[in-house]
Amino acid sequence: MEVKLLSARFDIKDAHLLEVAKAHGAYETLDKLFTMTPVQVMEEVKNSGLRGRGGAGFPTGVKWSFLPKNLDKPVYLAVNSDESEPATFKDRYILVKDPHMMIEGIIICCYAIGCHDAYIYIRGEYTSQVKILQKAVDEAYAAGYLGAAVGGKDFRLDVTVHRGAGAYICGEETALLESIEGKKGQPRSKPPFPAVVGLYDCPTIINNVQSIASLPFILANGADAYRVYGTEKSPGTHLFGISGHVEKPGMYELPLGQPLLEVIDKVAGGVWKGRKLKGIIPGGSSTPVLTPEEAKTVTLDYESMAAHKTMFGSGGIVVLDETVDIVKLVENLISFYHHESCGQCTPCREGLGWMLKIVKKLLAGDGGREDIDLLVELCDNIEMKTVCVLSAACTMPVRSYLNKFRHEFEAYAAEKASAKPDLREE
Amino acid sequence: MAEMVKLFVNGQEVAVEQGKNLIDALKVVGIEIPHFCYHPALGADGNCRMCLVGIEDGRPPLVPACKTPAMEGMKVLLDAEHIKKIQHDVLELELINHPIDCPVCDQAGECTLQDYYMTYSLDDSRRGVEPVKKGKRMDLGCGVVHDQERCVLCARCVRFTRQITRTGELGIVNRSDEARVAIFPGKPLDNRYALNIVDICPVGAMTSSDFRFRQRVWFLKKDEGICHGCSKGCNIYIDHHREKYKDDMIYRFRARTNLQVNGYFICDEGRLSYHRENENRQSQTRVDGGVVGFEEGIKAFRSRLDTARKPLMLLSADCTLEQMWAVKRIANLYGAGLSGYSDASVLPGDGDDYLIQDDKAANRKGLELLGIDSSKESFMAALQDADLLVNFNNDLFFSNINDELRPLLDSKECIAVCSHARKLFEKAAIIIPTASYSEYGGTIVNGDGVLQLFRKAVTKNDDPHDILEITRLLGGAIVDAARAWPGIRQSVAVLSAVQPEQIPAEGLKLQSSEEPHVGS
Amino acid sequence: MSDRSELIAVGKPFSFDAERDAEFERLITRYPIRESMIMPALWLVQEQDGWICAEAISYIAERIGTYPAKVFELATFYTMYHLKPVGRHHICVCRTLSCYLRDKQEIVDYLAEEIGIRPGQVSEDGKFSLEEVECLGHCGTAPVVQLDGEFHEAMDAKKLKALLATLD
Repeated sequence: MEVKLLSARFDIKDAHLLEVAKAHGAYETLDKLFTMTPVQVMEEVKNSGLRGRGGAGFPTGVKWSFLPKNLDKPVYLAVNSDESEPATFKDRYILVKDPHMMIEGIIICCYAIGCHDAYIYIRGEYTSQVKILQKAVDEAYAAGYLGAAVGGKDFRLDVTVHRGAGAYICGEETALLESIEGKKGQPRSKPPFPAVVGLYDCPTIINNVQSIASLPFILANGADAYRVYGTEKSPGTHLFGISGHVEKPGMYELPLGQPLLEVIDKVAGGVWKGRKLKGIIPGGSSTPVLTPEEAKTVTLDYESMAAHKTMFGSGGIVVLDETVDIVKLVENLISFYHHESCGQCTPCREGLGWMLKIVKKLLAGDGGREDIDLLVELCDNIEMKTVCVLSAACTMPVRSYLNKFRHEFEAYAAEKASAKPDLREE
Repeated sequence: MAEMVKLFVNGQEVAVEQGKNLIDALKVVGIEIPHFCYHPALGADGNCRMCLVGIEDGRPPLVPACKTPAMEGMKVLLDAEHIKKIQHDVLELELINHPIDCPVCDQAGECTLQDYYMTYSLDDSRRGVEPVKKGKRMDLGCGVVHDQERCVLCARCVRFTRQITRTGELGIVNRSDEARVAIFPGKPLDNRYALNIVDICPVGAMTSSDFRFRQRVWFLKKDEGICHGCSKGCNIYIDHHREKYKDDMIYRFRARTNLQVNGYFICDEGRLSYHRENENRQSQTRVDGGVVGFEEGIKAFRSRLDTARKPLMLLSADCTLEQMWAVKRIANLYGAGLSGYSDASVLPGDGDDYLIQDDKAANRKGLELLGIDSSKESFMAALQDADLLVNFNNDLFFSNINDELRPLLDSKECIAVCSHARKLFEKAAIIIPTASYSEYGGTIVNGDGVLQLFRKAVTKNDDPHDILEITRLLGGAIVDAARAWPGIRQSVAVLSAVQPEQIPAEGLKLQSSEEPHVGS
Repeated sequence: MSDRSELIAVGKPFSFDAERDAEFERLITRYPIRESMIMPALWLVQEQDGWICAEAISYIAERIGTYPAKVFELATFYTMYHLKPVGRHHICVCRTLSCYLRDKQEIVDYLAEEIGIRPGQVSEDGKFSLEEVECLGHCGTAPVVQLDGEFHEAMDAKKLKALLATLD
């Protein structure tokens, strides 16, 4: 099932070094690139049907075309390497195994959108990875792939690595821009969208690492070659991260559209320790959980996920075995989003902490059925009432656990003998 | 004039200013959209989510009103069930970590949280869990006291220090429900406008150490006034109250919006200058050192004036146009000289490029308009000649720059008509107490040439007489402020068409080209 | 998160050493506005001292030309900035989803029982500090431990014991 488009050089020793990467084809698309017009490049990417690999799945070429024409302001590219959605670790492989593929992609993108200053926003947690990335950037400068004359052509491109410092929210594209600007990573209200008013108030494209890293293949082989893989609406391949209770967790490059359960069984070795499957988180922690029954008909593409009322997300698949205590899992989950709430909007800032306390109360045996109902209601009250979707990234999965595994919550509630006296009258 | 557009609110057609955000645009036509973080002086932030409104057929269907410009044909939903539910739910979330300590909170009675709770909720609390603990009674500097637990993180205060004063002392540290407003340790608020933070805080998170626990706000009578702290003429609310068995006292000044004069804010010195209205007041009438009744004092005043060979009248540059006119008339009547000399109320370099002015007098422009000589030279010359100085509340020693004047003054007999007990007036042969600016009304012209009207706010138990009334008792013809105007209109061209009662709320900008005084 | 706003002042001024100073000057040319340097500068401080004291925040604010309160905001918002001293060896154990599912708790319990430190603490001898952190992006090789910035994958108590034994 596996294919090696993006991961072609991952198994080559030291492919993160320019010399090795070059020996295996890195930067070979540049000659072709500079024979094309930026519009042609943009069209090729549009035709490939490449969809943003950060989680939202918005078509990359279409995103580029939102840039206003004939502006007197600079255009910026921010490469989103914040990869902080729990269960997502695919971009890390690109950053450490083949950073030059991404840099090549950056050159392609910048040429297409007319950008001369790109920032790679890498999450602070990637402490050892940033060193490899910075070395690759330095090597690319030294070799003339970056700098005043990219590949000897009349095209300047400067690339700066900007480190985050521990904030999930900076994966949200406008929070990422705020962070580069030297502010707290608090998402901006949209409109205006970054393509119009982005970094330093200039038009800005924000693309995920994997989206950018997909560009050299598309440019080298053409949109049709990319479309050989995947489905009509979800073309190409994706780096899936499979984790949790499987025998062979890890990163696997697969064409989109593969059956989910088959992938888990054949690629990831199935549920570990011979245990039974309890549920699957299909695309990172913020995607609604699938029951084993639901998972039977799911394929790994945007459309199938949507049809099953969940999301493709970042391709981070988590397998839950029969031993998982769903209420404790939900505590872990809300705890994450509560910790990461930027604190800007009232519903998310105040609501996630409240939800966490209610779950803790249930786990402590002090909660009742009314607390379960309150949790469900809070999911509704918080979701989509905020500037960004962080709150929804918490409430959507939590609601799915409350709906699909309600009996587990009720089991905790039942431990409370009877409703406590109403203290409000005191 | 901005272009108007028609839009629909709950199906009802209204005409509003195009492009203005929905909160401000609809406010004009009497439709309130609840909000915490939006403030017209600080712009839209969009963090509180209380102003979310529905836009029918709109994409997205739900938008923050503070960030949504009014557009032709827009269909705004405010009373739909799902919008009311959002307001209710956001409010519940604002309150989930709030201490709900209204009985001991200074803001109670003028708190947005309280008001909205009454309007949008009235539900019992569903908290059932411990709220987050944060800092209480934190001294942020400049008399601002902060309660982090009451704070709704609207960031108005932070934005104020970054956008208005550009001093940036405040920040919101941490994230999640641990987020809180803080100063950097050792760097407290340090600007001359800091107490505006107390005004703009929608809840009880920012209180003033000056006002805290002095009075419950629902007892306060809130009258409009104009600050007399400098020549800016900032618009204020005079919040005062007469406690049982006590006198009418001012408890605070607050900024009152006037976009032509002071915008939304006032300076701290002006704000705290209300203390001067309460304290150190001259209440006794004295003649030759002895306390006498007011009528007796006036009688003595008249007879001294009658017998004086060459009286000189000195006006305060804080007086209203009407008072100045009335004094000018009695100066004529008594053949007295007249001066508005008050250089001491100018503190060179004290002003800034925002609201605070070097000139601490409220109506120096009025002296100019009425052609009252204010030069030091002519005042000194006139004083040399004079055998009686009648001082209408002019503190010649305001900034201690007039020491050379002292020997000369000491050699002259003096009558002081004064609102406050000041050293300068102590030696006066006759002391007549008079009202201060919160106790009378009239018109003044600020340093930028804006004519403003203000009314009497405070009525003392033993209500002091206004200067204008004192001139009447001295035989003047001006019996009230209105009666001064025919004469003023006739003699001052730039004021010739002014009807004081019709001066707009934001004041009347006098055309500088016509400013020079004509006639007398 | 817990409250991070209690800064520690060491009582003497901070300044970059020559190496960090040069790095600061190099990086600042990469941004059109100086405030973009707040985060890189905070990293440089942490690299130099291991943590960030109140004086360093003042120093950065002055150097960049911004409000100390703004630098304070960022230092407390981004949780990887250490606002108190850490041990000679700083251990981060991932507590999120995949590491949680694959028993990160065994590691945390081991550290509590054997080394005597709980998340947020520094061992008495100053050798170790422990932090439970959110997702470290190594979910496929969970549970993961980040020790002094290096990742150790598919950990368990036994492996951690062997690893810690190699440290001074």
